[in-house]
Amino acid sequence: MNQSKTMEAADRRFGWFMSAPSLALLLAVILFPVFWALFTSVHDYTLIAPNFDTFTGAENYISAIQDPAFRHSLGLTAFFVAAVVLFEFLLGFIVALMLNSVERFKPIYYGILLCPLLMNPVIVGLIWRMFLHPSLGIVNYLLTVVGFEPVNWLGSTQMAIWTIIMVDIWHQVSFMIVLLLAGLSAMPKEPYEAARVDGARVYQSFFYITLPLMMPVIIVTLLIRMIFAVKTYDLIYIMTRGGPGVATDLVSYSIYRTAFVSLNVGEASAMSAILLGFILLLTVYLYRYMRSLT
Amino acid sequence: MNRLAKKIVPHIILTVFSLIILMPLVWIVRVSLTDKLTAYKIPPEIGTLGLNNYVDIFERFPFVTWFANSFIIAIVSTAIALPLATAMAYSFARLNTGGALLRLGVLASQMLPPIILVLPLFGVFLFVGLTQSRVSLIVAHLSISLPFLSWMLVSFFEGDMARLEEAARVDGASRWQAFLLVAVPVAAPGILAAGLLGFILSWNEFLFVLVLSGPGTQTLPVGLASLETHAGVEIAPLAAATVVSLLPVFALLPFLRKHLIKGLSLGALK
Repeated sequence: MNQSKTMEAADRRFGWFMSAPSLALLLAVILFPVFWALFTSVHDYTLIAPNFDTFTGAENYISAIQDPAFRHSLGLTAFFVAAVVLFEFLLGFIVALMLNSVERFKPIYYGILLCPLLMNPVIVGLIWRMFLHPSLGIVNYLLTVVGFEPVNWLGSTQMAIWTIIMVDIWHQVSFMIVLLLAGLSAMPKEPYEAARVDGARVYQSFFYITLPLMMPVIIVTLLIRMIFAVKTYDLIYIMTRGGPGVATDLVSYSIYRTAFVSLNVGEASAMSAILLGFILLLTVYLYRYMRSLT
Repeated sequence: MNRLAKKIVPHIILTVFSLIILMPLVWIVRVSLTDKLTAYKIPPEIGTLGLNNYVDIFERFPFVTWFANSFIIAIVSTAIALPLATAMAYSFARLNTGGALLRLGVLASQMLPPIILVLPLFGVFLFVGLTQSRVSLIVAHLSISLPFLSWMLVSFFEGDMARLEEAARVDGASRWQAFLLVAVPVAAPGILAAGLLGFILSWNEFLFVLVLSGPGTQTLPVGLASLETHAGVEIAPLAAATVVSLLPVFALLPFLRKHLIKGLSLGALK
């Protein structure tokens, strides 16, 4: 009894000893910057006068929330996230189901769809900018060949956000496919056989077996993708710089502009803190869901 | 008829999908091999193919510097993060250090938008005079790779590992020996794959380098982005530069396939 207690204490000491270096580093590169941002968000800190001389309380928060541009970027980000997650999920699920149903050429299809997965968003943005160039790009050329009007992909305020969404789908749909396919191939075979014996149709076994059994995989995949979509920055910087006007001004880019173009780090920090709140909410939900699975 | 359709329809959908994924990549390779004038021709012409653009980017742009910076920063930050993350992941998995709260903290660190961290880091590096140095970029990249690796590696130390270690402990191994001589070798393939993913994360990182780098410390993504504005519409060399910077990632991909799903799903799926 006594011995097992000392063992436990020794285990605990050893555990802290092992994680101490990482924790110290995380403290320095994550926790400290986050607190710095929170501290800055209640001060009048600009890149012209980078000091904490003036405490402003909630002023930065109030002016951020009252700023139509910031509200616009929050709304736009919500729309963007909803759109990419939804389309990537639907398309990804269809492709995953198809992949799960074929044997022949499966490694080839799979190998191809892995290509965009680890590609740098900067490179994805550059490639698609060249591809979608209004007069020199091949997409508009192909459109005119088949008799359509050329499209002003990134220059039109209505079109630009949809172009970004489309490019993001091209880049990230593989993420959905790979994870959903992993879920599908880990499914038990027995329920399907039983359903077939009972005369169930294909759509019935999809809605009554596949979907319920896949739910944990689907929720985890959607949550992770959602959090990463909120962070979208590189693609915007490369393809539109938030424009034309503010048509593609997602929240990460909006914060960047406030800090490095308007030089108002205090308000940018307040905007960061608001974004942080949303991300933490999603992360806590994801974490609790992941734990409930094991 | 119906059975034939059932067999063919998935292949049609998958082929169309694969072509959409491949088309931009094939096109960029083609542009990188054409000469500068042909690259602009609409309708496209094949023209004479050659490696001129690949020579060009090394001669006219600081491509070697960008490549070297990317490489050094990714290697050093991963080399620092990997052993530290391995030790922490082990303590999470086997000794439940810090409990649920600490694990949530690490997950949240990984999910933080870089834009939130980059302002404070910029302020700090400005204060200590480290902006425009590689050190600041390595430190900044640790904030991405360390939480990612710690979180991903936890699952490699769960499961059967405990029994192996207990056997070693019964035979008289210390905790330290059990970790170094049993757990780490058994988890080695996973640790290696995680390290490669960490390398790619750093290789691809853009925002930190954009804000914290100077002319001599730019990495490939930031260099490429500046190439696009400086070189105007010179798409042929830009295409060549893009292809070269994709190569390391594609070269590593085959080694990752086994552990890719674990990495992407943050350990939730195997």
